[in-house]
Amino acid sequence: MDDVTPEGETPEREPDATPAGAEPAPASDAAHEPQAAPGAPATPPDAPADDAAPAPPPAPRAAPVPRAARPIEPPEIPIDVPRGRLSAQTRRAFLLFTGGVIASAAGAWWLLPDATRRRLLPDGPRADLDSLAARVGLARANRERVLDRALTFDDDVAEALYSPNRAVRTYARDQVTPLRNNYDGRTPGPEILDGWALRITGLAAGGIVTLTRDQLLARFALREQVTRLVCVEGWSAIAWWGGIRFADLLAAFPPAPGARWVAMRSSVNLDARGNPDPYYVSIDLGTARHPQTLLATHQNGAPLTLEHGAPLRLLAPVKLGLKNIKAVTDIAYTTPEPADYWNERGYSKYDGL
Amino acid sequence: MPEPRTARDTTVRIVPKHHALVRLTHWANVPLLFGLIASGLAIYWAAPVFVHAWNPATGSRDYLADLGIAVARLVHDDHAATWFYDHFSIGSGMLARALRLHWVLAYLFMVNGALYVIGLAAGGGWRALAPRPSDLGDALRMMRFYLGVIPMAILRRPWPHPPVRSKYNALQRAGYLAMPVLGALVVASGWAMHKPSQLGWLESAFVNYDGARIVHFACMVAFAGFIVPHVCLAIADGWDTLRSMVVGWSTRIKESAHG
Repeated sequence: MDDVTPEGETPEREPDATPAGAEPAPASDAAHEPQAAPGAPATPPDAPADDAAPAPPPAPRAAPVPRAARPIEPPEIPIDVPRGRLSAQTRRAFLLFTGGVIASAAGAWWLLPDATRRRLLPDGPRADLDSLAARVGLARANRERVLDRALTFDDDVAEALYSPNRAVRTYARDQVTPLRNNYDGRTPGPEILDGWALRITGLAAGGIVTLTRDQLLARFALREQVTRLVCVEGWSAIAWWGGIRFADLLAAFPPAPGARWVAMRSSVNLDARGNPDPYYVSIDLGTARHPQTLLATHQNGAPLTLEHGAPLRLLAPVKLGLKNIKAVTDIAYTTPEPADYWNERGYSKYDGL
Repeated sequence: MPEPRTARDTTVRIVPKHHALVRLTHWANVPLLFGLIASGLAIYWAAPVFVHAWNPATGSRDYLADLGIAVARLVHDDHAATWFYDHFSIGSGMLARALRLHWVLAYLFMVNGALYVIGLAAGGGWRALAPRPSDLGDALRMMRFYLGVIPMAILRRPWPHPPVRSKYNALQRAGYLAMPVLGALVVASGWAMHKPSQLGWLESAFVNYDGARIVHFACMVAFAGFIVPHVCLAIADGWDTLRSMVVGWSTRIKESAHG
């Protein structure tokens, strides 16, 4: 490798090469550092002379620049590389690049939802592309497996981040913001309140426990908290809730040994046309025992409205809103993980915040 | 390079430019950012943060949807309400799919970012990104140059490039340093939204939940705002510059005297 010289424009004719990676000779060091120095927008006084000079003097003109004055970015040092080897490296780099472009394009097509593909390409070419992709293993089933795996990985990360002792941030009552009714279907009517009772199964004592709203409120202390409800859609609202602690209910009616999950169900849930569409969520027992997890009966100091889950809803501020099931009718403690309504529709089943 | 030169050998003088990891992660960012924006906007569709009062005429309260409605009217597209999301995201009404895609790509983006930082450290590339006292003045000179380059070409007047003796000019340096900073910010605001309870301190760092959403959105706009001029200037700069990001070296030897 030749020392860098300002006039080194004809590298092919340079007579000798020194090994690459060698430190620049002091002469070159001294010649370059002042010019590359930071904080010197003005041209160094000797630069114009350098510009015009045919060649730099071979001997050092100045003492080496002290370390403190060294620029953070050393001057670029050109190296001479045999043409053949450079071509081979270039060829390899561009082959890798082309491979990456093809892999990215194929991967992008593979990951795209079917509806998006339908919008992007007409049926004929799309079918051709899909069958081509399937031939190299980029089939729809594999895509779902990969995306599910990513979702599970994200759930594992969330579980690792979770601490049962960490309290969710609480707010003052005057920080409450409007909370929308996000029932996916039609909001149930007041008829669900008649004769409502919470059914609990999977208990250590066996059998079924049935508790009315009055019995629940008479037996357990009413707790109040102002927390944020975060929806998977991205909106959030601060709300003032009142209810009994799920942990208190668990202490009074302990689950069967080995139970790890709570299957919560609203059998009165409706679809958009008003037909029965039971809603169900899976909650791990740890979340149920969290001190801020409530079986809420009140909002803003008044009994829950039908829009927000009367007569009783789950309020688990460590979980996304979709886990906060409204109008709960059944609680079952289970050993295997229960089904989850939105998980069956492509969302995470962990949903931890 | 240490091998002795034979008579038949010819050599090429090159300047090493980019570490292999920097090149790899640079190009990996292309599909990753593309996919993250496409899936991110499809997530944003579900609950836009920049909203106005409900407009019964358009059925929209979302400024981005409004933009799409305006364009769709111009081009006589029937799907006005979803035009924006159908053209700039994977589509409307597919939140679950968009979220799953976003998580896959976000984890890959974080891995990619970590590899990029390792590449910067291993190759010493960070030195070329480090800001220096002369940057403000130099950046202003570069802006003046870019503003004048087309008018002066039309007027056929000489318009010399300001002298640059470092690897990048001050504007490039600011832009390239902003990228890892922006990457860290977009990841931090993403986590603040993703786990606002367990990472409550991170959520507070963005004031509140919506603060993190706004920063996350702004980072996307900033990425897009960087990418457009970056691609134009890299192409304008020529083949040597484009090639250097693939092969890692350049044959453009800077002349120390007048850059």
